[in-house]
Amino acid sequence: MRVKYVLSEVLVGLWRNVTMTIAMIITLAVSLTMLGVSGLVYSKVDDMKDLYYKNIQVSIFLKGEVTEQERTDLEAKLKGDSLVKEVIYVDKAEAYKRFQEMYQDAPDLVSAVKPDQLPESFRLTLVNPEQYKGIYDQYKGEAGVDEIVDQSRLLDKIFDLFGAVQNIALAGAIAMAIAALLLVANTIQVAAYSKRREVAVMKLVGASNWFIQAPFVLEAVVAGLIGSVVALAALIGLKFFLFDGSLSALQGLFSPVSWGDIFLIFPVMAGVGAVVSAVTGWITLRFYLRV
Amino acid sequence: MTKTYPKASRPSLDNVSVSIEKGEFVFFIGPSGSGKSTIIKLLLHEVTPNKGRVIVNSKDVTSMRSWKRPHFRRSIGCVFQDFRLLPNRTAYENVAFALEVIGKTKAVARRVVPEVLELVGLGGKEHRYPHELSGGEQQRVAVARAFVNRPLILLADEPTGNLDPDTSIEIMRLLDRINRTGTTVVMVTHDSNIVNQMRRRVVEIESGRIVRDQARGVYG
Repeated sequence: MRVKYVLSEVLVGLWRNVTMTIAMIITLAVSLTMLGVSGLVYSKVDDMKDLYYKNIQVSIFLKGEVTEQERTDLEAKLKGDSLVKEVIYVDKAEAYKRFQEMYQDAPDLVSAVKPDQLPESFRLTLVNPEQYKGIYDQYKGEAGVDEIVDQSRLLDKIFDLFGAVQNIALAGAIAMAIAALLLVANTIQVAAYSKRREVAVMKLVGASNWFIQAPFVLEAVVAGLIGSVVALAALIGLKFFLFDGSLSALQGLFSPVSWGDIFLIFPVMAGVGAVVSAVTGWITLRFYLRV
Repeated sequence: MTKTYPKASRPSLDNVSVSIEKGEFVFFIGPSGSGKSTIIKLLLHEVTPNKGRVIVNSKDVTSMRSWKRPHFRRSIGCVFQDFRLLPNRTAYENVAFALEVIGKTKAVARRVVPEVLELVGLGGKEHRYPHELSGGEQQRVAVARAFVNRPLILLADEPTGNLDPDTSIEIMRLLDRINRTGTTVVMVTHDSNIVNQMRRRVVEIESGRIVRDQARGVYG
């Protein structure tokens, strides 16, 4: 009977102030959606880093006038380097073939370039792609080396972008969370005020503190849970319309966001929504419902 | 025992010592601001004294942890000048509410509440709302709510303050009847008529000090 009483009080409380309840749920939902987006970006970036860095190469281009001796010295040195996993030598002919393949859509360009004009190079796969700097420092001054190009530097820029998206989503989540928490606090104040007579009687006849406070705290928790369900719907919508819809052309670029990822992040959103609302509610009651 | 409120120039109760036996009926009288209502608050553990101790039902309330207070209050019933009934609940529901919020089942309420409403003389009016009842009847509901849990002590803070003399007498008869069941009654009032008629123990307070403590007293 007490559980039933508390639950009916919660529903009555949410309904009594329904405009505030909706505002509270929407802000909680937006905040949790952004939290979810941030979480998804975070986990995807990790996946993508693994995927991309595994295949990344450092190219050491050689000068046109490089001597046979310089080239073999360099190759021997690279092969003996503990940072390097694999060395592939690309001579002028090989480079030209690759060039032709890469620019097969632009025959004018291909015909304008002669095999002789393309530099020879070593393509390195590193044991740990993030140690590019060491390779760069070591071989930059080496005889016969013209230029060292690291693909990972380009990737770093892309991942910086992802990092920025993640941080913006997180900042948005925090800003919305503050708004949501103020709304939760306000809703509970209003609820405590509208039930002040009941609360006074309950205190007087010796109702336990948890029994007095539970309906208010649960009101906030229920709002938090509804907010997280709305946020889940928003993430599903984002995947459906944006990721699988208008951004589907970029699919090869990103590692895909699966439904599993989204449903895995839901417990996190629900947990954060419920716990944060409950704590806010409870702290608000400390001030407005001295028991 | 001394109680000083913050920002007050003098103590509300200054070195007061009173002992009330089980089953007694005691009036605390005195002018407004004399500190008599503070006694109720101290007994309810709503405030704690700055000096000295408050002992209720052989429990030291002064050192009681606040989480123990709800359970402690279940042994005390309380009636006020302004009744403090819930306006959107009937007489029955008001009394049942007091039981249900301390964990009694609806079945217990169905058995006990009509009984206690009958006792206070409200049989047949169980389903009236407070605004459909007279002041005296509302106070009866409040007494029923205070008594339904069979407390050891009934505290009454000017229970007749809002009632006409005839109705006041009826309420006093009711409190007297409750006292005869063995419940200790502590009543704060400045209604001289009532004190004079009841001829019970009177403790007079003035400026926070006890100036008189008399068995079978009158309102001086």
